[in-house]
Amino acid sequence: MMNVTIGQYFPGDSFLYRLDPRTKLILTLALIILVFISKTFTGFALVFLFVLWCAFSTKIGLKYMLKGLKPLFLIIALTFVLNLLLMKDGAELVHWGILRITEGGLRTAVFMAVRLILLVLTSQVLTLTTSPIALTDGLETLMRPLSRIGFPAHEISMMMSIALRFIPTLMEETEKIRRAQMARGADFESGNLLQRAKAMVPLLVPLFVSAFRRADELAMAMEARCYRGGEGRTKLKQLQFHRQDAVAAAAVVAMYAIMIALNALGVF
Amino acid sequence: MASVIEVRHLTHVYMPNSPFEAKALDDVSLTVNEGEFIGIIGHTGSGKSTLVSHLNALEKSEPGTVFVKGTDLGDKDTKLTDVRREVGLVFQYPEYQLFEETVEKDIAFGPTNLKLDEKEIKHRVRAAMELVGLDESLRDASPFNLSGGQKRRVAIAGVLAMNPSILILDEPAAGLDPAGRRGMLELIKGIHQSGVTVVMVSHSMDDVGKYCDRLYVLAHGKIALSGMPAEVFLHGAELQSMGLDVPECAKLAAALRARGFDVPEDAYRRADVAAAILKHFGKGGDAQ
Repeated sequence: MMNVTIGQYFPGDSFLYRLDPRTKLILTLALIILVFISKTFTGFALVFLFVLWCAFSTKIGLKYMLKGLKPLFLIIALTFVLNLLLMKDGAELVHWGILRITEGGLRTAVFMAVRLILLVLTSQVLTLTTSPIALTDGLETLMRPLSRIGFPAHEISMMMSIALRFIPTLMEETEKIRRAQMARGADFESGNLLQRAKAMVPLLVPLFVSAFRRADELAMAMEARCYRGGEGRTKLKQLQFHRQDAVAAAAVVAMYAIMIALNALGVF
Repeated sequence: MASVIEVRHLTHVYMPNSPFEAKALDDVSLTVNEGEFIGIIGHTGSGKSTLVSHLNALEKSEPGTVFVKGTDLGDKDTKLTDVRREVGLVFQYPEYQLFEETVEKDIAFGPTNLKLDEKEIKHRVRAAMELVGLDESLRDASPFNLSGGQKRRVAIAGVLAMNPSILILDEPAAGLDPAGRRGMLELIKGIHQSGVTVVMVSHSMDDVGKYCDRLYVLAHGKIALSGMPAEVFLHGAELQSMGLDVPECAKLAAALRARGFDVPEDAYRRADVAAAILKHFGKGGDAQ
C-alpha cells in the first residue's frame, strides 16, 4: 500500500524541471491532443519518440516510469482485444470460427493501445517533474481569466493542493490504523465481499475521524495566519516565462506541423 | 528464565531497489525473557516502531530471525492469529484506532475476532477495564466522548482483552501531561505485576530507568547499547551523541563520581543516589 509511486513528484533537475509549470501544463495538453489527431503510424512513432526523449531527459529512469503503467495494463489490454475483435473494417486477416480480425480492426486496436500508453506516459512526465505546489500554482494562473465569470479559480487550486498534500498523510494513517486493527485480530484479506466490506468499518471510522480532525486543525491554522481566500493574495514565487519555455513551445508546434503534414499525405 | 521473544540478526529495508530505499533495521538481535519488563529506547527514526511491528508479525521477516515462544514468525506455516493472540501490540497514540459506538464494544473487538463466546468476551471486557482503571459506568459511553487519557486506556484495554502473555507498548505515555504520564506508567507497572511480560518503547530515559529491568538502545537501526539500566546509564556521553539523555539522577551521580565522591555505579534511581549522598554526610564528610 505504501508503494504507490505513480505520478508522485520525483525531485530532480533537468530541462523539463526548469520549465514554467504553465508551459508544462499547456504543452502536455497539446501533446495529448496531438496523440488523438494522429492518423498514421509514422505520426505515432514521432510522438512516441518525442515523449520517450522527454522521459529520458528527466534522468528518472524509464523502468521507474513504466512501473506506473502496470496498473493500467489490464485496461490497455482490454481495449486492444475489444477493438481487435469488434471492429470490422477493411480486408480480412484472420478468420477463425466466429472470430474475424480485419485490417481496420487491427489498426484501431493498435492505435488505441498506443494512445492510452502515450496518454499515461505524457501525463506522468508532467507530474513526475512538477511539484504539486508548482502544478496547482500553474493551474490557478491559467484558470484566473475564468474567475471574472465567477469561476472560483483560487479556491479550486487551493483545494487541489490541500488534497494532494494530504494523500500521503492519509495513506500513512490508513496503514497505521490497518496495522493497529490487525494487531487486534482484524482480518482484511479473507471472506466474501460482504464480510470484507464489513471488515473495513474499523478502518474507515478512525480514518474519517482523523481526516475531519486534520481538516479542523488545518482550517484553524490557516485562519490563524489570516487566510481569507484568493482576493488580494500575493505570491512569494512569481511565475515567469523564460527562453526555455519558448524552446519547448516551438518544439511542440513543430510536432503539430509535422503531424498535420503526415495526416494530409496519408503516410502509412 | 525462558526466553519468550528472540530476535536474531534482523535486518529490514523499506522499499528495496527503489530510489526511496531506506534501511530501518540493521542486524538487530535481542532477547526478552518471561516476566521481564524490557525498555527499548531510541531517537525518532531509529527503527523502534519497525522493530515492534516485527515482534507482532505485522512486518514479514526472513525465516529464522524472529521467534515468539519458539515459533518462527518468518515460517510460512505459522498462523499469524496465534502470534497476535500471544503478543499484544499497543501502537503510538492508540486512541486513534477506536471506532465503535460504545467503550464495551470497542474493547470487545479483539476478543470477538478471536471468536470467543459471548460470556467469555463480557468477562474479558470487564477484567480489562478494571485492569486499566476504567470505571464500570463508562461501559456504554461513546469512546469519542472520553478524555485523551481515558481513550488511551480504552485502546490498551482493547489489546489486553485478547489476554496476551506479552504486551508491547510503543510510546505509551506520548502526548500525556505529567500526571497522565505517571498514571499511564503506573498502570503498565500494574499490568506487568499481573504476570504479563512487557516491552516498552520510549525515548524517555527517566521512564525506562524507573520501570524497566533491562534496556536496549537503538540508534540508526542498530543495537548500540544494552544491559541493566545502571550499565546503560554509565555511557552518558555515548547516549548524548545519539540524541538521548540519561536520567537526571544518573547525571548527578556521574558528576559526583567524577569529583571523587563515593557513589556506587548502580545508583541511578532517586532513592539510591540520595542514599549515597546521605551516607557521605552521615560519615561526617568534609565536603561542604
